[in-house]
Amino acid sequence: MKYFRLVWKNVFRKKTRAFLTMGSIILVMVLIVVLVSLLDALSGESASGSLSGSRVVVQHATGLANFMPLGYRQKIEQIPGVVAVAPEIWFGGTYIDQRPENFFGQLSTDPEVWPLINADVEIPSDQIKTWQLERDAFIAGAQLIDRYHWKLGDRIHVQGSYVQTDLDLVLRGIYKGRDESNIFFHNKYLENTWAGRSGQTGVFFMRVKSPEDVPRVTDTINKMFENSDAPVKAMPEKEFTLQFLEMMGNVKLLVRSIALIVLFTVVLIVANTMAMSARERITEIAVIRALGFRRAQVLGIVLSEALLLSLLAGLAGVAFSYPFTAFLVEGMKRSPVAMFAYNFRVAPQTVLVAMAAAVLIGTLAGFVPAIRSSRVSIVDGLRQVV
Amino acid sequence: MSQAQIRIDGVSKVYHRDAIEIPVLNDISFIVESGDFLALMGPSGSGKTTLLNLMAGLDKPTSGRIFVGDREVSAMREAELARWRADHVGFVFQLYNLIPVLTAFENVELPLLLTRLGKKERREHVKTALSIVGLADRMEHYPRQLSGGQEQRVAIARAIVADPAILVADEPTGDLDAKSADEILDLMRRLSGEFRKTIVMVTHDPKAAAVARRMVHLDKGVLTPAGAREMAELRGVQP
Repeated sequence: MKYFRLVWKNVFRKKTRAFLTMGSIILVMVLIVVLVSLLDALSGESASGSLSGSRVVVQHATGLANFMPLGYRQKIEQIPGVVAVAPEIWFGGTYIDQRPENFFGQLSTDPEVWPLINADVEIPSDQIKTWQLERDAFIAGAQLIDRYHWKLGDRIHVQGSYVQTDLDLVLRGIYKGRDESNIFFHNKYLENTWAGRSGQTGVFFMRVKSPEDVPRVTDTINKMFENSDAPVKAMPEKEFTLQFLEMMGNVKLLVRSIALIVLFTVVLIVANTMAMSARERITEIAVIRALGFRRAQVLGIVLSEALLLSLLAGLAGVAFSYPFTAFLVEGMKRSPVAMFAYNFRVAPQTVLVAMAAAVLIGTLAGFVPAIRSSRVSIVDGLRQVV
Repeated sequence: MSQAQIRIDGVSKVYHRDAIEIPVLNDISFIVESGDFLALMGPSGSGKTTLLNLMAGLDKPTSGRIFVGDREVSAMREAELARWRADHVGFVFQLYNLIPVLTAFENVELPLLLTRLGKKERREHVKTALSIVGLADRMEHYPRQLSGGQEQRVAIARAIVADPAILVADEPTGDLDAKSADEILDLMRRLSGEFRKTIVMVTHDPKAAAVARRMVHLDKGVLTPAGAREMAELRGVQP
């Protein structure tokens, strides 16, 4: 600690250079925090829903484009550990127009079991009862309420696309807490469409007793229908969500690659700054070595300078990343990827990752200049000015 | 034998630049007694600074031995030498070589960071050293806020703050005006007389050399016998 003042003053010896270098680290820190948080959100690691790990989705083995017989529901319900099963169809209609900001999920479901499967969302019980009683009722996530300023009792019209019917629905409930960018309406509403008539459904959305039951139940379901006309693929909810992203390619790999590239770039920038700073101080380093500072102490001081610079910038970067992430979340809530916005937050472990990255930047960037400084020959260093 | 007696015993130094050997010192032997004030004179390239560096433990001789007190400085390992310098040697350079981002106080405090002294004790030592050089009122000034003479006095305070037995000064007045140079030489004389420091000073300046008690003259890496005569001439007496 007694060298801290020396280290601190050396770091800010050239303020413009120090602040520009810190600026580059801050930008990288913000980027790392946002990217890691995004990866978490995509992976559902920060999912706030306490039951997220207990939910399972069953779809046709060949993909979401194919439907499954509704009759599977009774068989699935018989499996030990299954709490409730709801057949759901992705309606995919158009509300107002086809602009992306007017995109949101429209899902038919069974209102009788939906509250059991989604017991971790907040919705008043009287609203649930009304929804269950009225065939044309729907419930909507709070984010959609904010977006469209809907009020209970409002009617909306959704034009069908691949399901050849339109929806005329009345808002009876508002839920909060998990993926607030969807509406849910009665399966009965689709009874007269081809899907309803043929006894088909897009997916089964279900809940099991505990996350430990998930592997067994999914395995049982997959085996149960593997030799049928419509084999299925049962998977945890998280995996189901991620497959949408996989449709866009390996997003995780892309995100990680970007993070690594910017990290490497900033290491080079900081290393260059530290090397310049150390080169300019060869005589000073020779002087303190003459005074009795050992090589290891010089190495420690120069390395500490790089670490201090990186840590200060890392802290600032993490601080800046909170409002930036909040800004992004607001933007995402109004986009087609709104379902990820609710998991998108800066988790404590992400802050640790960012600070570890800051330490890594400081160590890598400071190592070579520190080694070089510690090897400065006293006689040669002093000769530079004499 | 005093702790600060410096004994140079058959020291030679050869530098290597690529394949070329450059002999700088050739079989030098002499003794600097404890409390002595020695001026090292000679033309440029005669090996004065090299000899000073060897005596201060900044460099090692190619051959020969250097003793300070009963310890052979020329045989010490690097880390040991660093510790020895911190304990026994104070340095004064021609261009002062203060750290520009540190205040006068912090510059003087630097050698004490290598000791076990606490913050309060360090503060007392620094104040004492700056008082000796007459700059107690400039503790919080940065080098850029001081004149050349004041900077050199801060450098002297830094050299004496850990109370080393030996002071080495390389052209301490070389970059100063006459008045400042006189002040520095007065200070050096006081450090020798009042504080009994063993001082070895490289200088080109006959006036500076006259302050010393003894002079060694180097020419092309060897000692010349002119030392005593020149000393007497400088002091205005017949040899």
